[in-house]
Amino acid sequence: MKTLREMLAEARQAIREEGPEDLKARLATGEPLVLIDVRDPDEYRDGYIEPAVNISRGFLEFRIGTATTDPNVSIVLYCQTGLRSALAAKALKDLGYTNVINLAGGYQRWVQSGNATVKDSPLTADQIQRYSRHFLLGQIGEKGQRKLLRSKVLVIGAGGLGSPTAFYLAAAGVGTLGIMDGDRVDITNLQRQILHRTSDIGRPKVESATETMRALNPDVTVVPYPVRITVDNIEEIIKDYDLIIDGSDNFETRYLVNDACYLLGKTNVHGSIFQFEGMATVFAPDQGPCYRCLYPVPPPPGLVPS
Amino acid sequence: MVQATEAVKLLVGFGEPLIGRLLTYDALGMRFREVKLRRDPNCPLCGKNPTIKDLSIHMEGAGQACAPGDNGQGTSPPSAVGPAASTLPPAKPGG
Repeated sequence: MKTLREMLAEARQAIREEGPEDLKARLATGEPLVLIDVRDPDEYRDGYIEPAVNISRGFLEFRIGTATTDPNVSIVLYCQTGLRSALAAKALKDLGYTNVINLAGGYQRWVQSGNATVKDSPLTADQIQRYSRHFLLGQIGEKGQRKLLRSKVLVIGAGGLGSPTAFYLAAAGVGTLGIMDGDRVDITNLQRQILHRTSDIGRPKVESATETMRALNPDVTVVPYPVRITVDNIEEIIKDYDLIIDGSDNFETRYLVNDACYLLGKTNVHGSIFQFEGMATVFAPDQGPCYRCLYPVPPPPGLVPS
Repeated sequence: MVQATEAVKLLVGFGEPLIGRLLTYDALGMRFREVKLRRDPNCPLCGKNPTIKDLSIHMEGAGQACAPGDNGQGTSPPSAVGPAASTLPPAKPGG
């Protein structure tokens, strides 16, 4: 009869083990990776490594197909200390998955190394109803919704672009929405800037924006910034957000937002609109071009109708 | 709408984001086009030898982060996608 020690040694021969730093590096590169928490559901609920899915050790062989069917994709497994997942990794290897990695030291060492974990708080009955249409979408589901509720997005500009974007994100349940604009509501704004109402004329845009979004969805914490974004405040403000939406209306701000986002490693969802034309793109630092790659210098005034 | 959808995709982590692609929208003709964007190796910010390493270029009196003549208005038409456009492949219908 084999001892546990022998079984573990045998498993470790067959699979690869990596430490928390390696996993962190893999997650940072955005490479295709399936991360599976093989602990029991109650352990997972107490905290897990984002973006792990939970498939308990006992169900792994039966349910691995729901996580991936690609035999060559990198699969990282972890449990509490790295023992259960070593045996689990061996089982996947035996099933024909070629690139199975065990997280050495498991969740415990991940936490001890000072790495971030997430804990899902249970959704309320209202939230389950409010986001039920998201749950029907396989790509979002309950897990995606929790992620949205934990997310922080800064919308720069509460005007023609910022209004609908912030409004939709509030509806979708983005947990923290910063909204930044130094202007006041003018009657000429109202035909398109849908966060503001007639009674808001003369009020700071971020005030009416905050009220409208809070009324739409009480789950959202709206953080109003009643100021124009400048070189003096931008870094301090954007550093705490996961994602930046640029809905500004001038080139100066776009270059500033682009530069600050790049330097701080923030993804910038860019949009601009003029009369009947609009454009949108995403500037993700080092994954694609930035605004300056697109416009090394501001387009000459002649090309931009005023 | 496009920006909000992109944000949700990026936050949750699904789909194919608009990274390296410029989506243009012409409401008059009701046409969407997609232009592939490449990184500029000479980009002063994200290129191989960056000259912009902090935000000092944006400080008052520090020179031009943004050349004079900027009229502060929205977008430029897709045909005016700056000098980089000449190196871009032709736009493809999309959307």
